[in-house]
Amino acid sequence: MVGLSIGEKHFIQGGIAQDIRTDGRKRLTYRPISVETGVIPQANGSARVRMGATDVIASVKAELGKPTPLQPDKGKVAIYVDCSPVAAPMFERRGGEELATELSVALQKCLLGGKSGAGAGIDLSSLMVIEGKICWDLYIDCLVISSDGNLLDTLGAAIKAALSNTGVPKVHVAMGPSGDEQPEVDISDEEFLQFDTTGVPVIVTLTKIGRHYIVDATSEEESQMSSAVSISVNRHGHICGLTKRGGSGLDPSVILDMVSVAKHVSEQLINKLDSEIAAAEAYEVES
Amino acid sequence: MREVQLPLNQTQKVRLQAALQQLQDSSAASVTVSDTIPVNQEDGVLKGHGTIELDGEVVATLCGVVERVNKLVYVRTLRARYKPEVGDIIVGRVIEIAPKRWRIEINFSQDAVLMLSSMNLPDGIQRRRTAVDELNMRSIFEENDVICAEVRGFQHDGSLHLQARSQKYGKLGRGQLLTVPPYLVKRRKQHFHHLEQYGIDLILGCNGFIWVGEHVEARDNMVEDQENKPEQQISQSNQRSMNLEEQESIYTPLATRQNICRFANAVRVLSTLGFNLTVEVISDTVDFSTSLNLDMHEMLGAEFCVQIAEKEVKRRSSISKKK
Repeated sequence: MVGLSIGEKHFIQGGIAQDIRTDGRKRLTYRPISVETGVIPQANGSARVRMGATDVIASVKAELGKPTPLQPDKGKVAIYVDCSPVAAPMFERRGGEELATELSVALQKCLLGGKSGAGAGIDLSSLMVIEGKICWDLYIDCLVISSDGNLLDTLGAAIKAALSNTGVPKVHVAMGPSGDEQPEVDISDEEFLQFDTTGVPVIVTLTKIGRHYIVDATSEEESQMSSAVSISVNRHGHICGLTKRGGSGLDPSVILDMVSVAKHVSEQLINKLDSEIAAAEAYEVES
Repeated sequence: MREVQLPLNQTQKVRLQAALQQLQDSSAASVTVSDTIPVNQEDGVLKGHGTIELDGEVVATLCGVVERVNKLVYVRTLRARYKPEVGDIIVGRVIEIAPKRWRIEINFSQDAVLMLSSMNLPDGIQRRRTAVDELNMRSIFEENDVICAEVRGFQHDGSLHLQARSQKYGKLGRGQLLTVPPYLVKRRKQHFHHLEQYGIDLILGCNGFIWVGEHVEARDNMVEDQENKPEQQISQSNQRSMNLEEQESIYTPLATRQNICRFANAVRVLSTLGFNLTVEVISDTVDFSTSLNLDMHEMLGAEFCVQIAEKEVKRRSSISKKK
């Protein structure tokens, strides 16, 4: 990223303090969001989400696998992010790997909950086929095409859109002669089960610059941040995950304030995302 | 500038297509590679850039617009890189301080060079640059500063020499820098625009960097009192170490900031649509948005973009009717 002069930095900080950012948005306004679903026909589900100039694609592939012995009644989900060198000059060759691992871990924490599987935003028990033997493994792969700040929110929105576009094939199970043998499974090509995404949370990142927080920072604004807190909130207003980035420390009262602001912002974001996803799916069905 | 994809719904797409179609019909003949250029063979035509003679026909080798000047026929590409000429006004960013010069990034294939001798010294006296001046270069321009200068000439390897000797050139602060494709800024008589009713400065750099910022009075250093100068230098160095409350008191005033944001959004919308940037078009767009009572951030939405395209269609059709 090119540096900013002192005058420009002062201008950005002044804008945030006066509630008029460089493109005229208020502190808690998102950039225009556009959603396209079904962009990758070979995947079980896919979506492309653009927030301003930030552009990401998420795809979901479902494969049959064996559940872990610790949780025999739940399926598995793996989330992986790749920052393409196309997105920004600093991602050239292996420059994007550190950021990609950080984003993957943050997404896993926000969407999948803890080690025991509790608190997961994605309902893993719906991925079960035969308890203890066969389950669905979902591999969610995300690709960052263009990076202009606020990658985590956009990735969360893309995963939510891709999951609502996902069709898990119906499985017909023929029980083998004895309970120990591997049962035969017949994966249907015709029938699909749409994945239930009403419980999937969205991620709201609040960036602290000076004394104020902003939502959906561009990369210029992110270069000025002191710290950022990403909170994933679901439709019921429950917090599903929390990540803090940035070098400066935060008072606990500030974090509580940020959480309440995030809950307030997430309501509008969830409604906007749901309407955009519905419009995108309708458009995909038409074309 | 990054292409911002607009989330257009169906009716907006139709309207935008119709408007762009009307704009293209009225423009000159555009060709793609291997299109035949209609040429009157009896006059001896000179085949210029982007053309080749194949089987007795003049065929285009580039995608662009056909230009004819007397007997010369050539193809001008649309998305050209910035082509500098002597006397161009340039906005650039300092990336490096080298012995006796600053290296400036200007959206060109090479960095431009601003020599210390082409820059006015802070005390305004015309004298030879000494070694002490060289050591104090950082007090004039630092890394990442945005500056405005003029093209003085070319070096032997094709990179540019800049000069900033007049009062209107120099460091730019308190505003924002926008990047647009360079072919959208045509050469005019004036590139510095001080818009009094809004209180802002608009500088259209020929290299595609556009500066929108608070208005700064061009000061003449030599006329000022000796007493005033130490105060200014102290205030500049204090800015770095000031705490939050003191800085807040010198933020740009609210009305100016709103105007800066509106002008910046107008430039962004016009460059997404690919229209030429002139002060008149930008001011018209800003007045149009205020007349519609749009919020500043709604100017970047799909609806306003389509309305600007339709407005441009009306403007061009009214101009062609007058002719």
